[in-house]
Amino acid sequence: MPSKKAPLIETIDLCKSYFNEELETPVLFDINLTIQEGEFLSIMGPSGSGKSTLMHILGFLDNPTSGKFLFRGDRTKSLNDDELARIRATRVSFVFQAFNLLPRTSVLDNVMLPLLYHPTIPASERVERAMHAIATVGLTERATYFTNQLSGGQQQRVAIARALVTEPDIIFADEPTGNLDSTSGIQVMDALQQLHDDMGRTIVLVTHEEATARHAERIIHLKDGRIASDSKKFKRVRSNGKGKLK
Amino acid sequence: MLLRDTIHTARKALSTNKNRSALTMLGVIIGVGSVVLMTSVGASMEGLILGQISSIGAKSMIIFPGQQEGSQGTVTAGFDSLTFEDVDALSRLKTVTSIGPGMFVDIATAIYGREETEPRVIGTVPNYFKNRDMPAALGRTLDDRDILGAKHVAVIGSEIASDLFQFENPVGKRIKLGDLTYTVVGVLEPIGTQFFQNADEFVFIPLSTARSVTGQKYLNMVSLQSVGDFDLAESDVKSLLRQRHGIVNPKDDSDKDDFIVRTSKQANDILGSVSLGLTAFITTIAAISLIVGGIGIMNIMLVAVTERTREIGLRKAVGARKADIMLQFLIEAILLTVIAGIIGVILGIAISGLTAAIVNKFLDTYDFAVSVPAIFLALIMAVVTGIVFGIYPARQASKLSPMTALRYE
Repeated sequence: MPSKKAPLIETIDLCKSYFNEELETPVLFDINLTIQEGEFLSIMGPSGSGKSTLMHILGFLDNPTSGKFLFRGDRTKSLNDDELARIRATRVSFVFQAFNLLPRTSVLDNVMLPLLYHPTIPASERVERAMHAIATVGLTERATYFTNQLSGGQQQRVAIARALVTEPDIIFADEPTGNLDSTSGIQVMDALQQLHDDMGRTIVLVTHEEATARHAERIIHLKDGRIASDSKKFKRVRSNGKGKLK
Repeated sequence: MLLRDTIHTARKALSTNKNRSALTMLGVIIGVGSVVLMTSVGASMEGLILGQISSIGAKSMIIFPGQQEGSQGTVTAGFDSLTFEDVDALSRLKTVTSIGPGMFVDIATAIYGREETEPRVIGTVPNYFKNRDMPAALGRTLDDRDILGAKHVAVIGSEIASDLFQFENPVGKRIKLGDLTYTVVGVLEPIGTQFFQNADEFVFIPLSTARSVTGQKYLNMVSLQSVGDFDLAESDVKSLLRQRHGIVNPKDDSDKDDFIVRTSKQANDILGSVSLGLTAFITTIAAISLIVGGIGIMNIMLVAVTERTREIGLRKAVGARKADIMLQFLIEAILLTVIAGIIGVILGIAISGLTAAIVNKFLDTYDFAVSVPAIFLALIMAVVTGIVFGIYPARQASKLSPMTALRYE
């Protein structure tokens, strides 16, 4: 009898609080969430709703205060710093609002950065893999440019290439269009959507913009640290305007 | 992360901030440079002093009339305690040989034709030349017939020869020393300075002649050589002179004697203590400069950690472990100190070479010398400085939480 495949991510009653000396500031309450492989998910919510904190926990950048966090069915609570780093190097990757590219460094070197910390990809494959990722976001001709020579949209596409280069299980994009004009924002969202549609990547998008969130198949609304709604009602909106509400 | 990648990353980070890296390195450059310079000057000085005392061979000793004051100081002026009778008694000892007494003769000028110079005239015997290793370049040194006959002959140093005779051969020529005329029988090979006196300005006449000219009954020095055990010979000489001079000194306290025995061993001991002092001095300078340089490096590395907080966060977000970040910053600090160390060594060698070239114009026995162990020591100290002062900023960097670092503004 075929066994049911474990979800990529599962949280059970996950809570997070920040502690400042003796003062506890709870941020997330009883988050129960399941993300299947291949999903394109948006986490929405107003500022301070806890969406970034949730993304950091799901992306192994931070630990929950209580509750369970399972990755491919395995509990992650007992993982030490080095094990978390190894998961970040191999399984997950990030696209940040502020791009976070290394200044005065070429596009190629920026995209190769995660490969320096990858435990199994040999050094001899780095350039080839990085160039492939750069080609995926359409920046092959800019590979030798310094990142500060590129437009904002191009820089975010470099960040997407960097997120792709290790072929992770899941890509987290934290307000990826937040620092971009609308045209560049559309290009970046197209690039992310393409990763999902054409390559089947699992993508978690954190945003407070309704229009951006609608690119995803599933939208989770966070409010005051709790899941207010989890909906798959939306048919994705394509940036060319052909998508529409179901 | 591979070490090669870490070094490459560190090198890139340093070259990105060239000016700051250069200024950071300055402290270590000065520290290492001064160590190399000081040890080089020390080695050159040691060579200079060794050259001065090497005229006393390993088996030789020189006795002066005078008194030891404290551990190093001596007073020789006004002492007439060393006599011809002492020399006779010394010559009967079986543990010493080649006894060469000497007497200073107060003659202000040496004249040949129209040329005039100021010599230092010493009355002595043939053994003296043997004991002090002073061979003749032209003619001969003094012989027994000169002594027996109290002849008016002279053996002159190379500088006296060039002062008085320029390109003429002095042998057989007659020079005036004071009121008397002497025939030059030999010119010594150039010797340079010995005991900080220029031996090339010496004029040697037979001791018997000097004695009759001056009427002096005491000697200013006696050189001799040991036969067999050197320490035994030294102790025999001291016992004999104490007995003859009526000195009771069972504890071998040199302050009580009216004579001073100088040996190459003593000279080496003095040199050793000078070297030790110099080494302590250099070590102090090196330690201070490297600590100052190290603190500079720590400061800048801490600034770099703060400045690059987001970069650290990013590296951690893409999979860097604590150890990777720590190693990256540590290697940056070590690279800084190693590069600074190499520049310091090159500068130190260059400046000591220049110093030697300048000093050599005045002191021809000062040779350029570089202490290779000191260079390695200075480089090792530079690396240790990098590690010691790099660890704290590197630890600070590695401890940063990726999330906090990414949020850093």
